Amino acid sequence: MQSLPTYRFRGFILLICALVALALPTVAQEGQAGYAYRDGEHFVDIEGVSIVGNRPIKEIGVQQTPIDSVALKENIALSMADVLTFRSSVFVKSYGRATLSTVAFRGTSPSHTQVKWNGMKLNSPMLGMTDFSMIPAYFIDKATLLHGTSSVNDTGGGLGGSVKLATAPTESRGFTLQYIQGIGSFRSFDEFLRLGWGNDHWQLSTRAVLSTSPNDFKYTNRDKKVNIYDDEMNIIDQYYPVERNRSGSYRDFHILQEAYYDTKAGDRFGINAWYLNSNRELAMLTVDHGDDVDFDNRQKEQTLRTVASWEHLRSSWKMGARAGYIHTSMAYDYKRDLGNGIMADMTRSRNKINTIYGEVDGEYYIGSKWLFTANLSMHQHFVESRDKNIIIQSGDKGIVGYRQARVELSGAISAKWRPIDRFGLSVVLREELFGDDFTPIIPALFVDGVLSKKGNIVAKASVSRNYRYPTLNDLYFLPGGNPDLKSESGWTYDAGLSFAIGREGKYKLSGSATWFDSHISDWIIWLPTTKGFFSPRNIKDVHAYGVELNASLDVALAKEWQLTLDGNFSWTPSINEGEKLSPADQSVGKQLPYVPEFTSTINGRLAWRKWSFEYKWCYYSERFTMSSNDFMLTGKLPEYFMSNISLERRFAPRWADLVAKFTVNNLFDEEYLSVLSRPMPGINFQFQLSITPKW
Amino acid sequence: MRWLLLIFSLLTVGCMEWDYGLEEDFDISTSERGLFICNEGNFQYGNATLSYYDPTTKRVENEIFYRANAMKLGDVAQSMIIHNGIGWVVVNNSHVVFAIDPTTFKEVGRITGLTSPRYIHFISDDKAYITQIWDNRIFIVNPKRYEITGYIEVPNMTSEQGSTEQMVQLGKYLYVNCWSYQNRLLKVDTETDKIVAELEVGIQPTSLALDCNGKLWTVTDGGYEGSPYGYEAPSLYRIDPESFTIEKQFSFKKGDAPSEVQINGRGDTLYWINDDIWSMSVDADRVPVRPFLDSRGTIYYGLTVDPTTDEVYIADAVDYTQQGKIYRYSASGELIDEFYVGIIPGAFCWKE
Repeated sequence: MQSLPTYRFRGFILLICALVALALPTVAQEGQAGYAYRDGEHFVDIEGVSIVGNRPIKEIGVQQTPIDSVALKENIALSMADVLTFRSSVFVKSYGRATLSTVAFRGTSPSHTQVKWNGMKLNSPMLGMTDFSMIPAYFIDKATLLHGTSSVNDTGGGLGGSVKLATAPTESRGFTLQYIQGIGSFRSFDEFLRLGWGNDHWQLSTRAVLSTSPNDFKYTNRDKKVNIYDDEMNIIDQYYPVERNRSGSYRDFHILQEAYYDTKAGDRFGINAWYLNSNRELAMLTVDHGDDVDFDNRQKEQTLRTVASWEHLRSSWKMGARAGYIHTSMAYDYKRDLGNGIMADMTRSRNKINTIYGEVDGEYYIGSKWLFTANLSMHQHFVESRDKNIIIQSGDKGIVGYRQARVELSGAISAKWRPIDRFGLSVVLREELFGDDFTPIIPALFVDGVLSKKGNIVAKASVSRNYRYPTLNDLYFLPGGNPDLKSESGWTYDAGLSFAIGREGKYKLSGSATWFDSHISDWIIWLPTTKGFFSPRNIKDVHAYGVELNASLDVALAKEWQLTLDGNFSWTPSINEGEKLSPADQSVGKQLPYVPEFTSTINGRLAWRKWSFEYKWCYYSERFTMSSNDFMLTGKLPEYFMSNISLERRFAPRWADLVAKFTVNNLFDEEYLSVLSRPMPGINFQFQLSITPKW
Repeated sequence: MRWLLLIFSLLTVGCMEWDYGLEEDFDISTSERGLFICNEGNFQYGNATLSYYDPTTKRVENEIFYRANAMKLGDVAQSMIIHNGIGWVVVNNSHVVFAIDPTTFKEVGRITGLTSPRYIHFISDDKAYITQIWDNRIFIVNPKRYEITGYIEVPNMTSEQGSTEQMVQLGKYLYVNCWSYQNRLLKVDTETDKIVAELEVGIQPTSLALDCNGKLWTVTDGGYEGSPYGYEAPSLYRIDPESFTIEKQFSFKKGDAPSEVQINGRGDTLYWINDDIWSMSVDADRVPVRPFLDSRGTIYYGLTVDPTTDEVYIADAVDYTQQGKIYRYSASGELIDEFYVGIIPGAFCWKE
């Protein structure tokens, strides 16, 4: 067994090796002559680097990672979890293919990541987290990650950060249609259809995605063995079975209707309605010796999200309003065949969530040096949780669950000041209300300054105090809910440098380095009780700190050759600094379980005429599974590297634009785990064909 | 060159280990006394483990199933017994009972096809009962053939709140406590495999013990606040097995969570966990005022008494996500030894 330092050193060296290799071409290319580039099928404009004065005043000091539309629309089979895995420095914890996938920034927990879609919160009011495997990337037109302090600009409670997802109108004229058919390993089928119509004022769009798969990939199960017995029932041989992922099928359907109206006189209206219908089995653990025929373990979800928006734009001010409604109905069933074909309920859980949403915001510019913003949002949740049906002592039926309603208000005002081109200052004050409880004021301060116009070197720094209020399950779940929980709170400090150089049509190189430091107190953890159920408690104080690096390069290699590279690297120690829970507690001073210390991603895209080749790579360092960071056999998950490649060819017959794409996932057929006892697929393939008729 | 470097770095790092290597050889003397500790692990994470402790040398070996068999024990190791020189480890959410050689820790067989097994009890060499949660049946198995041979259906119990737990036998009758959203004990005729009587006690009897006077003891946890099944002060009960009636009831404070009632080797002293560790003579008329051991900030989760020495072993689950710790105390309450085991040590099994 290798020691911890050996693992870390190996991973670190390999990453440095890869990053150095990425950086080399940029140095060499600087002196080369450029070529002209068209905005064709595979080519994107290599824009000139913005001059420092063009930095938006709205983004003073903000540390953000935008995800470009190329990444979002790269593959029909991708969820937002898949996109973020390869395109950002956040940690995506996946329980398997088409299974719960959560996102955590900077060593925090998934519930510390606030997620919004067109302004509405997507975080479950019951669980606090968001399942990114339920968000098809093809439904998202804009995605931005706001790291740490920067999330206070948008929402409260993002102790790690926030993710902003949005749809946007296309600029189409007349009817448009796009159909994509994806066919992949394990009999996976993904279909996407988009119908659109537009004119100068109206943009209408309907998008639908259907993804189905038995998801029964093969893998060698090294967590258990199959016995071979003789007639006397003595074991005469054992072997690791090659199993299929059992009970892992899924069928996800999404449809998104959008309508936008632009008066062209400063008013924009929009309506979005997103309906999802998901039916997923929950795959059996690698250590499960049961027969999948005997059990049915299934989660069904129906969710409708609707939002209407209005924006009123003037030369020096802007205001907007949004209203929406979310309905979620979730069913979890765990059934057992009694041997006579009758499936008996072991667990029959039903949850309903209704949320009413409203928001108003405004921006007011005084000249070019001042910007004032104000925002107020409201989410009114109505939750009904029916976790178990039982017969009570009197013989009547009883339900274990709860019903609660809670209003959540979040209001913020900010002042942003840029007295000179080279310097900016921003102050945000946010206040939140959960039910009857106000959180303390959430303040954030941002500064940035241009250190050098040559190279566009910009320094940024920010500090904030933030609070995350307990979820409804934290407070009220039966059994175990703890109404005495306090809000989690944290101080976060960010400081970083960014640069951008380039020459229009030739190359563009940009990068950033950010240091961050967070102290989170009263971290909520669900722990078992002596009565056999779990209950949440405020027990940990966590110090999460580290560095995030990002680099991006677009370069013209030769005539009709274009290379795009981007990479992320993060080092995220997340240390438990709380009091010992008992004299035997060995977790103080240790990395939190399931938080990798190092993560990295690299994406490379090489385009030539109508061809495009893409390489995606990500790395997660070893994750401890125990709070004491023990190197027991069950105490860690080994590091893993994941490589995906794809080759794309565009065709342009007279009647349509066609795009054919072949993808290989897990190129090196890694046997890997993201979570203990959850198998992941080995090498697998996908082919997709996109058809866009020309009317 | 730079591209070669990049490609090299990408290609050469495509490896991850998921191989537990070779099986390790253990050879514990057949006559050696020892203590097995079932470490539940975290539900749904498959990190249950088995530990072995030698009270004489104070040597502890962790992850012994894993190391001896080069495979995982599974998800939630609930309990273990040794019968006729074979150890039987019940792994609840892996739906399996492993049979192991208690001297080498190697698997010799397994029983599968179970719903959610909790405890196993041998009626004879050819017949054993396995209790379940989320099933209203006790499974009857042939341990020699590792086969399920039948079921004992519990009346007035649905699968969704099905719960049969610990078993003790007196003569031909077996007694079972029903815990989760239940309030009763069952009396089973082991010759006919039929439930012949039920006894209502308080809410959620957690455990069961038999004393030197042939009396049954159970302790309830009283449910929880807001439970539709009810919430009450928990109690310790003494039950006459023959008449199957409650003889004594010792009440605790509402909100207490007593569990793990155990008996010493002579059968004359009871032990249980109720935040602290408590002990009481089986002939006592009231619960002692002071505990046998104070909690000291520990999170006591499991308890056993050495049947030979009366030494008390207590499991501290700490934060439930790290190695738990076992404290070994003399019968008079002096600390003799302490050692770390696996995640959430909950159940013990003595190898005599």
